[in-house]
Amino acid sequence: MEERQSWLNEELERRGVTRREFAGFCGVMATVLALPKAAGARIAEAIQTREKPTLVWLEFQDCAGNTESFLRSGRPTVADIVLDTLSVDYHETIMAAAGHQAEEALAGVVRDKPGGYIAVVEGSIPTGANGAYCTIGGRSALDIAREVCEGAAATIAIGTCAAFGGLPAAAPNPTGALSVADAVPRAKNLINLPACPANAENLVGVIVYYLTFNRFPPTDRYRRPLFAYGKSIHDNCERRAHYDAGQYVEAWGDEGHRTGYCLYKMGCKGPVTFQNCPNVGWNSGTNWPIGCGHPCIGCAEPDFWDTMTPFYSHMAGFPGFGVHSSIDRVGLWATAGVAAAFATHGFVQLGKRYMHARAENNDSEPEEPAAPATSSGKGADE
Amino acid sequence: MRVWKKHVREVELDNVYVWQWPVRVTHWLNAIAIWVLSVTGVYIGYPMLIASGAASDNFLMGWARAIHFYTAIVFTLSVLSRIAWMFMGNWYSRWHRLVPASKARWRAMRRTFRYYMFGMRMPPGFVGHNPLAGLTYAFVFLAYLAMIVTGLTMYGTSAHVDSPLRIFAGLAPFLGGLQTARWIHHGVMWGIWAFFVHHVYSAILMSQVEATGTVESIFSGHKFVPREDIIKPGYRFEHPEA
Ligand code: HEM
Ligand code: HEM
Ligand code: SF4
Ligand code: SF4
Repeated sequence: MEERQSWLNEELERRGVTRREFAGFCGVMATVLALPKAAGARIAEAIQTREKPTLVWLEFQDCAGNTESFLRSGRPTVADIVLDTLSVDYHETIMAAAGHQAEEALAGVVRDKPGGYIAVVEGSIPTGANGAYCTIGGRSALDIAREVCEGAAATIAIGTCAAFGGLPAAAPNPTGALSVADAVPRAKNLINLPACPANAENLVGVIVYYLTFNRFPPTDRYRRPLFAYGKSIHDNCERRAHYDAGQYVEAWGDEGHRTGYCLYKMGCKGPVTFQNCPNVGWNSGTNWPIGCGHPCIGCAEPDFWDTMTPFYSHMAGFPGFGVHSSIDRVGLWATAGVAAAFATHGFVQLGKRYMHARAENNDSEPEEPAAPATSSGKGADE
Repeated sequence: MRVWKKHVREVELDNVYVWQWPVRVTHWLNAIAIWVLSVTGVYIGYPMLIASGAASDNFLMGWARAIHFYTAIVFTLSVLSRIAWMFMGNWYSRWHRLVPASKARWRAMRRTFRYYMFGMRMPPGFVGHNPLAGLTYAFVFLAYLAMIVTGLTMYGTSAHVDSPLRIFAGLAPFLGGLQTARWIHHGVMWGIWAFFVHHVYSAILMSQVEATGTVESIFSGHKFVPREDIIKPGYRFEHPEA
């Protein structure tokens, strides 16, 4: 263990990170993970003394955006070093080995460390055409995912595609794409880290939690860690005061937009999206979408391509009435239609009664009997 | 020549206490709550008023939501009370007057429908809801429940961590996600308004042609009906010439 501690110290020094910064990072992690501040010391110890967990990173139907996020080239932070403490034994995009050599590295981990590695999956898994839409080394994505994830201690589905199917699974889902949860129902300790792409800070959070407590953080009903997905964007948004006040951007670049008003009317999906973007920010905390004037598009929610579109309007249109229809316009017209139908009914009713009354008059019957016992509905009292 | 000729009856009219007070109170609470919820809800969906000045001096959306939520409590309790009353109240307020559970109700519904399609000149007479109206109300209660369920789901996901209402957040996946729940909340609102238009028309029409004091009954609880409707509901006015 001593050896490893000195390895970390050296690494910190080499990268110009002071001990203070490291302690600060551990404190921040404790906060991100919603742990008491004192947990920082425990985190520091765990990061320094735990054995390197082995990690394999699988890419299927993806754009490598989560890899980009993971490798994001800001200033080196302590978080990067934590990620470096992982032994990434397989990652197509960044590993030096290629071809069969690379595949051998993956096979080696699965063979030699059953239940002793973490699988990270990026991208959805196509099941159409017998898996032909995505094959690696002649094997289908489904085949690889089943083998690797079922043998892993835990699987982290990173990005919305792996977590929920994402863009490839959006209607009409031409490749029959599935999320990891659906494609590999027997994966153990599956954690979803959706978002397009997932925030590297949250991946670090999950790994730090795992290093510290040797288990995975509590999750919500979509298997997302609560520390990162427990609150809506809206409930932590810096523009929330404008929302409550009734101050909204109404057109791009208008007075309200320049003042930093709420983006609700521009289609912001912050009220129905759960992630910690407002707190941790993006690009090493530089800013985040709403912070720079763009509405949230709901990227961390299941099926967001289908349910959150159109991104720039508050609500989806009505099926069959075109993208610019709104449920409220259709509803209003439907209500007007019902009113028209019943008004017509009323006129027909009146017309028929008129004809009937005329027919009765022609027969020159008396219109009312001379002395009715009781008259109209309002008549008798008992 | 009077087109809306009043009915002339040889028979004595019986005064029947049809709508007990819980039926009337929940009816009007719901009607008022639906207005308030719709006005505040449409503002929540389309905040057309923009506040000027500092954010801290305004609370427009805040008020709209607060009023919406407090009214939602009244609405929810009122709907649940009326549903409970469907199992406790008098014959006319019971669930089987809404859901057509017997063959006779179905047959009578066809006659009411025929009346509406001008197949009969006078509607078959009933003391309580006619079967067609009853079935419509069953759908209205389903719409009420849909509003309550989607509303509680939206509320539950952002409720305070200690709030028991948070358990409703678990319904979100079954509704197709929160954004879809929101969409349903809008759509069903319009369904209720479409019903409202029909409802007021039909209530007034029925009041005219049944002449049993239908509209008045939802205020007073009483209807004045010919005895034959009580003995054999659904056959009055069924003339061969119709
Ligand atoms: C017939 C009754 C109701 C009507 C007509 C109605 C109407 C609406 C409308 C039009 C919206 C705007 C939705 C949006 O664009 O985001 C809304 C929002 C909402 N309603 Fe209702 N509503 C009704 C009952 C309820 C009930 C019973 C609840 C229960 C708690 C509820 C809770 C909510 C919530 C939580 C929102 C979202 C507010 C927000 O986004 O901050 N509603 N309602
Ligand atoms: C948003 C507004 C309204 C809604 C949603 C509504 C809904 C309903 C429902 C669900 C019932 C069945 C009552 C029960 O069995 O508990 C009912 C009955 C009734 N409502 Fe309304 N109502 C509304 C407004 C009105 C208004 C404005 C009037 C007055 C013209 C009215 C007159 C009646 C009458 C007369 C009945 C008894 C009908 C019968 O004999 O079958 N309602 N209403
Ligand atoms: S910008 Fe979006 S998340 Fe922020 S307060 Fe407005 S609606 Fe909510
Ligand atoms: S603000 Fe919304 S759309 Fe943007 S990254 Fe965060 S969750 Fe995704």
